[in-house]
Amino acid sequence: MYEESQAKAAIIARKSRREPTVNMTPMIDCVFLLIIFFMLATTFSPLPGMRVKLPPPSQAQSQTKPEHFILNINNPEAGEAEGFMQLNDREVNMVDLSANFMAGTEKQKETLIIRSGRRVKHEQIVTVMDKAKRAGVKKIGFAMVASAF
Amino acid sequence: MRLKKPKEKEPPKLVMEPMVDCVFLLLIFFMVANILKPTLPFSVELPDSKSREEYVRKKFNVYINANGQMSVDDQAMRDYDALEDYLLPRVNEIETLMIHADKNTKHGDVIDAMERAKHVMIDNIAFVLSDEEIE
Repeated sequence: MYEESQAKAAIIARKSRREPTVNMTPMIDCVFLLIIFFMLATTFSPLPGMRVKLPPPSQAQSQTKPEHFILNINNPEAGEAEGFMQLNDREVNMVDLSANFMAGTEKQKETLIIRSGRRVKHEQIVTVMDKAKRAGVKKIGFAMVASAF
Repeated sequence: MRLKKPKEKEPPKLVMEPMVDCVFLLLIFFMVANILKPTLPFSVELPDSKSREEYVRKKFNVYINANGQMSVDDQAMRDYDALEDYLLPRVNEIETLMIHADKNTKHGDVIDAMERAKHVMIDNIAFVLSDEEIE
């Protein structure tokens, strides 16, 4: 009896001598799919932006030194897209804003402070910032009213 | 002459292991480098500008739409207090706070968001511009 079982075991051992293998193919399929997904979903392009500076809270009200550019933008009138602008107390429009910035002194070109109404559109602010940057203004800040939130 | 009996031909094998290693490395790289585009609860049309700087895409971007609705990535913010509470524990992870404001957003809303960012000691703030460069 014992011998018989020994012989059977020997036969089984001989049959299964082939090395065990792991079937990788389905896993590789999945991994490739994941790679393709991540490759498509990843965005490496940089984000275009424009830096802004905020005045320290204590200076929020005192940033009115005349040696800087100070641009006041009023809330747009009903039906109008853009608000009325004043650069250092002189009325300006969007067309000749660049020329006005360029005509400023070196000291003035250091900083531009934008004092804008709450209802002015963000696009107008960005356009002003764009013109100022291209005219050589180094820092652009916003005047804020210290609110008690 | 006694010829050698040709060996029994084994089926050709493809060695997969090095490829699998490479593929896994690639997978890990893309998983780590990946920042998924958030699905916003509203749409934002960014303003254009010719002068622009470039920033690395990171997490925790503030979005403000034309009606003043806000979100940080895909998390909608109820009000400015919620925005501040959300940003406060994440300040160390934010190098520059990128504000994606719609071109028709009221400046007051943007200022309020910036004020809250400043309140939690985020000093670097930038407005995000449209991808298409204007001529």
